This record gives sequence, C-alpha cells and structure tokens, in this order.
Amino acid sequence: MKKVKVLTAKLGFDIHSRGVTVVNRLLRDTGMEVVYLGNQYPETIVAAALDEDVDIIAIGSLSSTGLDYAQKLMNLLKEKNAVDIPVVFGGIVAPDELDRLEEIGLVSYFPPGSDLDEMAKTFTDLAAQKVS
Amino acid sequence: MKEKKLPKAKSGERKEIFTTNSEIPVKRLYTPEDTADIDYDKEIGSPGAEPFTRGIHSSMYRKRLWTIRQFSGLNSAQDTNERFKLLYKNGSTGFAIAIDNASMCGFDPTAPEVEIELGVGGVNVCSLQDMEIMLEGLPIERVSTAVIQGMNSTCPHTAMYLAMAENRGIPLNMVNGTSEGDPTSFGGCFDPATLPVKQITRLCGDLVEWCAINAPKWNPVSFTSYNYRESGVSAYEELGGLFSSAVMIIDEVLERDRGLTVDDFVPHLAFHLSSHNDFFEEIAKMRAARKMWAQLMTEKYNAKNPRTKTLRFHVQTAGSTLTYQQPLNNAIRTSYQAMAAVLGGVQSLHVCSYDEAICNPTEESAILSVRTQQIIQDETNVTNTVDPLAGSYFVESLTKNIEEKAWEFFEELEEQGGWGGAIDSGWLMNHRENAICQHEDNLRDGKLRVVGVNCYRDDTIASGISYFKTDSNLRDKLKDRLIKLKKERDNVAVQEALAELKEADDNGDNVMPATMKAVKAYATLEEMCDITVRRHPCKAADSPFYGMKGAM
Repeated sequence: MKKVKVLTAKLGFDIHSRGVTVVNRLLRDTGMEVVYLGNQYPETIVAAALDEDVDIIAIGSLSSTGLDYAQKLMNLLKEKNAVDIPVVFGGIVAPDELDRLEEIGLVSYFPPGSDLDEMAKTFTDLAAQKVS
Repeated sequence: MKEKKLPKAKSGERKEIFTTNSEIPVKRLYTPEDTADIDYDKEIGSPGAEPFTRGIHSSMYRKRLWTIRQFSGLNSAQDTNERFKLLYKNGSTGFAIAIDNASMCGFDPTAPEVEIELGVGGVNVCSLQDMEIMLEGLPIERVSTAVIQGMNSTCPHTAMYLAMAENRGIPLNMVNGTSEGDPTSFGGCFDPATLPVKQITRLCGDLVEWCAINAPKWNPVSFTSYNYRESGVSAYEELGGLFSSAVMIIDEVLERDRGLTVDDFVPHLAFHLSSHNDFFEEIAKMRAARKMWAQLMTEKYNAKNPRTKTLRFHVQTAGSTLTYQQPLNNAIRTSYQAMAAVLGGVQSLHVCSYDEAICNPTEESAILSVRTQQIIQDETNVTNTVDPLAGSYFVESLTKNIEEKAWEFFEELEEQGGWGGAIDSGWLMNHRENAICQHEDNLRDGKLRVVGVNCYRDDTIASGISYFKTDSNLRDKLKDRLIKLKKERDNVAVQEALAELKEADDNGDNVMPATMKAVKAYATLEEMCDITVRRHPCKAADSPFYGMKGAM
C-alpha cells in the first residue's frame, strides 16, 4: 500500500519549531511519509503540496499570525481546486478566536500540550477518509 | 494529554531515581562528603573576585539591585513608547525593545514578504524615526536599553538607537545599553541553510569592534543561550553552547588582527541566560557559568583585565515552560524562576507574563511581571546577603556537576569544529531535535509533570484572562509613515551613504561608520539589509528569513 504523505510547514517567520519537530517524528513513527518545508509562505506550501501530491497538509505557528496565513493558504487551495486536501493546524490560537478555525476550513486543531496518540489517530483517520 | 503515574520505587520513595530537569541524578541527602573535593578559595572564592562563582560584585544586591527590564514591543513605535512609559511609571529600571518579525528579518513595512508580520512579536522599527518616537520622553541618559534585534539587523538597529541618543545630545561614548544581536545563538534554533551565517557573523564582529572603540558603554552583543535553551536543550548544554558561541565571535574579532586584544572588547560583551523550572539546577547553572567564563578567559585567551573575566548576565524566565492551559498558573511558575535568577546572581531580569503562551503581554500582565520582581526586591529579604546558597552541600555539588557536564558538551562542540562547524554540519540541529523528542517522551510517560497539561488538566476551566490584539490598522499606518519619510528625507544623502555602505561591505571594511551615516540620513532597514545581508550567499535562498528578492 502506498504510504500516506503529509506535508508539514511552519507559517511565515515563526521560529518556534519544537512542536513541529515532535509532530514530524510522530507522523514518521505512525508510518507516514513527511515532507517538511521548514518556514514557508502559503504560496510555496501550496505549490509543494501539489507537486508532491500529498494527502494531508499540516501547518503550524506559535505566532499571532497563524490563522491569517492559514486563511491565505486555504484561498490558494480553492484557486487550485485542491480543497480535497485536508489541512490540520497546530500551535497557538487565542481562545477567543477558536471559531475562526472552522470558518477558515481547517479540519482539525491541536493546541500546545496536545495528546500525541489523539493526534496520530486524527491523521490516520483523515488519510483513511481520503482513500475511501 | 492523559495523566500517567510512574510505579512506586522499591525503596518506598515516590520514584526509583530522582533527577534534575536536565536528568542529573539527585541523591536523597547531601553531606560534607559531597563537597570535600571542592577547594573554597580556588573554585568558589569571594564575590567580586575570581573565579566569581559567588557573584561579580562584592556586595551584590546590598549595593545595587538587578535591573527590572521587561522585554516590550507592540504595534508601532508610538504604542511601544506608551508601554515603556507605563512600565517606567510602575518601577521598571531598564528598557528592552522587542522588535517585530518583519524588522528582525530586515524588511520595511512596504515589503510584500512581511505583509502578515508587521507588529508581530514586537514593534516595527524600520528607520531612525521609529527609535526617536519610541524613546521620546524617556530618561535614556539614566536608564539603559537593550535592543533585542537579531540575525539580519544587528548593525542597523544598533546604529538607529545610538544615532537617536547622539541626536538627543548624549555623547556616543556615554550611551548605555546592549544589543542582543547574537547571530550565533540563533544557530542553535535555526536551520543553518536559511541564513548567510558567515556574513552575519562578520557583521556582529564589525559591531563588537566598532563599539569597543566608539561606544564603550554599549554592549554590542549579548550572547543569548536563552534561545538555544528554549529550543530544547538541557541546562548544562545551554552553558556549553553559550561559551562555544562566544568563542566563535571572539575569534572572529581576534582573527582580524586589527590591534584589539580580548581585554579591549570582551569586557563589553554581555550574556542572556534562561531561568527554567528546576529551581536549584538553575541557581547552580548561573554560579557555574560565572566560574567557567573566568576560567575560559584566563586559560584560553590569557585575559588580564578582571572585567574580561566577569560574566554579566540578563535572565529571561523560560517562555517554553508557560502553558496555554490555565494561563494564570504561569504567574506562579515565573515567580519561582525569577527567584532562582536572583539567587543565581542576575544583573537584569525579564519575568515572562502569564499570557505569553497565548499572546503578547497586555498592560495588566506586563505590570504584574514588574510587581513580581518588586516583591522579591522589597519583601522577601533574599537581597540582604550575597549568594546565600553558597556552602549548601547540594548546591555546591550540583554547581560542580553542571560545570563538569557543561565543559564536556563544550569539548564535544569543539570536536565538531566549534559552534560554527556544528551549525554547518547539521550536528547541532540533530542534537537539538533528539533533545526535543526526549522531552516529549518524558511528558508522555509521566516522568515529567506539567500542571494543567499532563496532570490536573481541566479544559473546561476558562482562562480568566484578556488577550492582547495587534492594531488592525497597523499595516496602513506604518506604510503611510514610511512613504512620507522617504519623500521628506534628503534622498541624495541617503544614496551617498548607501553607496559607502556597499563599498565597506565589499571591501571587508567595518560597516558601522557607513551604517551610522546611512541611519542618520534616514535610510531604511531594508535598504541597508539589501546590501549587507541579501547579497550574500545562503543555501536556502527561498527561506522567508533570508528573503532574497523574487524568491517568495
């Protein structure tokens, strides 16, 4: 069976990379292939996601800009007719802005301190839904 | 995260092995036997005298308290000026400018690359005008300022502060403050491919060299092991990395062979450490750090000036220990971390605010950080005597333990070709990533407990705090002001100064004289960084941090 392919990236200039380091390892340990872009702009992330034909995009930020970048990324996916790629968001969203996650169209959100077993399950389920 | 409890130990104690946060084993009891091999005079000594284990001054806080220096920056220079005034009115004794992501990477507000990064994580500072507005009405002749730039912007941002002070009539040799500007510390946190490491090391060296001669009260670099520690390593690795990165910059200046000795410029170098959760380990780390620095300067560089051998340091409480869940708990965490810094002999302190795991500090949370420090200074009486934990069997033994392990890590880095070599080869990044994953494993299996995260978690509890929001009109305001500035300044003078800067950069001359000239003519940050950073080779030119034009 083909390995599930996940593209991971940090959005914009937020350099806090401990979370994404852990997520990359988790996904690899779960048997998925990870394409990690480091810090990037939405344009580059979307282009890479299409080039690499990934199954899931996982983006994150610990900065206040995370959702602004995510919005931009979702708009680009729409333009490219690629909204079937589920986008997972990790990092900081202020509790009074949590509604924006759904509005933007992000399928799942993992704040700091999330349970890794649950996270692994979310990715596995998303991949399964995509295949079916 | 699910709560997991470790099995009880055979001894009937709560755990089989007790360790510090950095996994140094801790015994049930410490006795005179544990310190029997420590020579008091040689390894501990009196405060204010070599090897400075007990502190860099003989009377420490009995004479002068540490500086309350809260790292602050929000929205525009005007907004930050108001925040500084508020903090000063409430008893801050130093300023520290948090610069936004856009400016840290050397872009102006009009750059498409930073459309979403303006006012993020700090204040936008793209010209001398921003410095003028930000420090207006503040007593900078009496109160020192730390300019916390980084990576690409160390020379221009320092020049903006110094030029602002000079324009206010303060002679350059009297301007008091610090540039963080330590490119090497970021090496521990960044993918090295995303920065022109060689060039930014050279720029940092230029600033060190120029300040030693022209602005001797300015600390041109503050070696920031804080960032490296925050990126996931242990207390002793923090120290090993700190000294390894300092050696890299010192050697950069010495290798130029332009007449400066370590005693000419090292006395002006400062340090910025973390204060993490493990109370005694952090105190021991700070005591060990002073001793190690004195030893390094004596043995490696044959330093003569006692000031060359004194490790003066700022501490920031560890932001990575703050939790998104139950944020008010963070105020308690940072109080202990601040107390550890004080018992460790700190010179200047930032106490993270309880909301910093969620947003920039609000006025309310920032003032509480000032109050946290004032309560230690005025109510606890820990300032009455110097280094009160000296002589504790445990603390002295741990200090020695950390020192030994830090030297081992320092040597390991030396074997990797020093800090620069370890960055270039990717060794440092791999090492750090392993440490991050180990930390996560410890959290998962319950070996490490974090209140509100993997124990005592209750996500139904409301945070109980308000959140800082960036000004939604900031982008337009900053752009408009910059466009106006570019129209009104003397553009012939700007072009002349930028041409001089390019010439100095190309010829390997010190870039600071031309940078000062350009800054005074109101050249912008981006105009200067286009010359001094973005023309220089970098492996990953499409990285946002580098921002080669057109690579976006």
